[in-house]
Amino acid sequence: MKLEDGKKNIKYKILSIEGGCRSKDRLIKLGLIPGSIITIERSAPLKGPFMVDVSGSKIVVGRGIASRIDIEEIF
Amino acid sequence: MISVALIGQPNCGKSTLFNQIAGYKSLSANFPGATVSYTKGKTYIGNDLIEVIDLPGTYSLSWYDDAEKETIKALFSSDIDVIINIVDASTMIRSIELTLELMSLGRPMIVALNMMDEAENKGIYINIERLQDILGIKVVPIIAKKGKGVKKLLEEIKNAQNPRKRCIYSKNVEKEIKKVTECAKDNIKNVQWPCKLFSIKAIEGFGPCEKFFEETECKPLLDNAKNALNNGLDIIQERHALCMNIFENSAKVKKIRKKSIESKIDKFLMHPVFGYVFMFAIFILIFYVVFTGGVPIENLVIKAFDKIDAYLASNIHNKLLFSIVKGGIDGIGAATGIALPYLFPFLFIISILEDVGYLPRIAYLMDSTMHRMGVHGVSVISFVAGYGCSVPAIMATRILKSKKEKYITAFLASLVPCSARSIVIMGLAGYFLGYMYVMGLYAFNLFIILISGIILKKLLPGMSPEIILDIPPYRLPTIKTLLIKTWYKIKDFIYLAIPMLIVGSIILTLISYYKFDSYINVIFTPLLTGVLGLPAAVGVVLIFGILKKELTLIMLYQALGLSSISMVNSVMNPAQMLTFTIFVMFYIPCVATIAAINKEIGTKGATTITFATLVLAVLLAFITKIVSPLIV
Ligand SMILES: Nc1nc2c(ncn2[C@@H]2O[C@H](COP(=O)(O)OP(=O)(O)OP(=O)(O)O)[C@@H](O)[C@H]2O)c(=O)[nH]1
Ligand SMILES: [Mg+2]
Repeated sequence: MKLEDGKKNIKYKILSIEGGCRSKDRLIKLGLIPGSIITIERSAPLKGPFMVDVSGSKIVVGRGIASRIDIEEIF
Repeated sequence: MISVALIGQPNCGKSTLFNQIAGYKSLSANFPGATVSYTKGKTYIGNDLIEVIDLPGTYSLSWYDDAEKETIKALFSSDIDVIINIVDASTMIRSIELTLELMSLGRPMIVALNMMDEAENKGIYINIERLQDILGIKVVPIIAKKGKGVKKLLEEIKNAQNPRKRCIYSKNVEKEIKKVTECAKDNIKNVQWPCKLFSIKAIEGFGPCEKFFEETECKPLLDNAKNALNNGLDIIQERHALCMNIFENSAKVKKIRKKSIESKIDKFLMHPVFGYVFMFAIFILIFYVVFTGGVPIENLVIKAFDKIDAYLASNIHNKLLFSIVKGGIDGIGAATGIALPYLFPFLFIISILEDVGYLPRIAYLMDSTMHRMGVHGVSVISFVAGYGCSVPAIMATRILKSKKEKYITAFLASLVPCSARSIVIMGLAGYFLGYMYVMGLYAFNLFIILISGIILKKLLPGMSPEIILDIPPYRLPTIKTLLIKTWYKIKDFIYLAIPMLIVGSIILTLISYYKFDSYINVIFTPLLTGVLGLPAAVGVVLIFGILKKELTLIMLYQALGLSSISMVNSVMNPAQMLTFTIFVMFYIPCVATIAAINKEIGTKGATTITFATLVLAVLLAFITKIVSPLIV
């Protein structure tokens, strides 16, 4: 499942981030690393970005990036 | 003299600390990327003078944008004796990653653990001794905002030691790194980075490090290591785990049960509907407050200066002398009475917006709209800064990644009416035509920016990356920091614009005294009078406006040969005022802005923007001239 399709307020684990782009670098530095646990807090209307929570930090990522992050629900 | 560099991740409080140490010299604000160039300052520790350098924040040594690159360049090039690594205690896990990288440089360093107050509010209690032992570096807890612990930190500078420890990965990972490192040691020269760090970054795929490996015998080794280590992901994950470990071993976290006020506020301000309503309401309120506060003061000052002028006229009988004295006095009066009442509140309110942490939230809200203009949400920071002054707005493009978005943002930010141009919007159009015109003009400006953005997106090739932004917590600035910050922004006006104004006023007076006007006006008549239907005399004003936009309105009435601004409506009709205001709103940026554009996106870009804005201004002013008689 992609981050783009995730639901609000559910815990997900990041499985992988599609490579190739420099933005991957920035994501990793902000704690969005394969293995990290995240929750989606909200998304902006009209194909706006997502705001996710990673260990207490709030990170906004664009929808295009969100479509390149693989996630999995954890129980 | 030893020099100390402040290195830390964005928004961890470097500039705040710097200002505590060296006096207010570096603008601090509550969003990542507030500082984009270095600032130097000095202070005494006991009897020793030391130099302190504030640098842009960087998440790691492998830079992502130009601001981060600046920091890494400074770190390796200038002779920095001691590194103060500022760590945000409230986001410690992430921040320690940079600390680990800095440790591998093997240079004297201290960790300043900042935001201790916020960490505590989040229920995080850090055992300083433990952390110090684990890292092998002196750790000093501070609260930069309140100046707590700063003295202790300064005292520790002269005892700063090289870090005693290094980041060690698991056996297998170390083995792979070692192969690359050893080859690089022998074969790759001219690298200032420590060899291991350099190799790790290359394995992780950091371009500037990787490229040194091209066409060397180490390239196959690098590729091997990449394969073995999952393209560096194994290293990244181990390092991240190590940071979590350090945190868990040195900090206790008490669960705080109450839902933070922050997420409650965010629920409103970032709401898919109300978020936008609030945003517009906030901006409308800002313009309203500045306008309603400014006009009465403008009125008051105009009256006072009319009296002074009358007094001068009856006491100084030499006509030339009278003109010069009047020019000078009017200049000062207009600067303090007309410009400041608009400038000060504007800059003050923008400082509030910057410091509470609202800008990153606007970036989130506006991201999707910004995409239509070929940029993403982060450019909003430039735009909002642009309502204060265009120069920092242009400089803020350094936190953008691609050439295309930099170009578009710089272009559009130069169309945002800075506080100096707002003096004309409020003090002329608003003063004579009313508040609705002020709002209309700002709305029209936004509309033009949107259209220009859509056109630029189509014209320029290339892709723009998407938004990745760390949203800081809301913070309450103190009135004192806001005032100091506003003063810092307005200083330039006081020291530079007022003298220019006095000189400008005197020049204008002399021009009319010696009746040069007719010669000068000949140059401007075709465009200004012919095309735009404005008095030719405004030409000189517009030229001065390129030097410094604050001069525009103030010199206008003098150029028109009037004794007071309240008489402008006797020479210009409402349609002409609107035409003039629209022209001023868009035409050529001031020289300081042009210089900034030149620096950020190059001479070609600066030239294009200069001409394009002139053409745009003429075009829009011409349309206004035709349309406005119908509406005013
Ligand atoms: N609560 C609290 N806030 C702080 C502290 N130190 C700084 N701040 C606030 O944190 C925000 C960021 O501070 P800056 O000094 O601009 O941060 P910076 O590290 O220079 O940021 P960049 O230049 O963007 O890298 C500001 O709103 C400061 O008022 C602190 O110790 N406690
Ligand atoms: Mg700063």
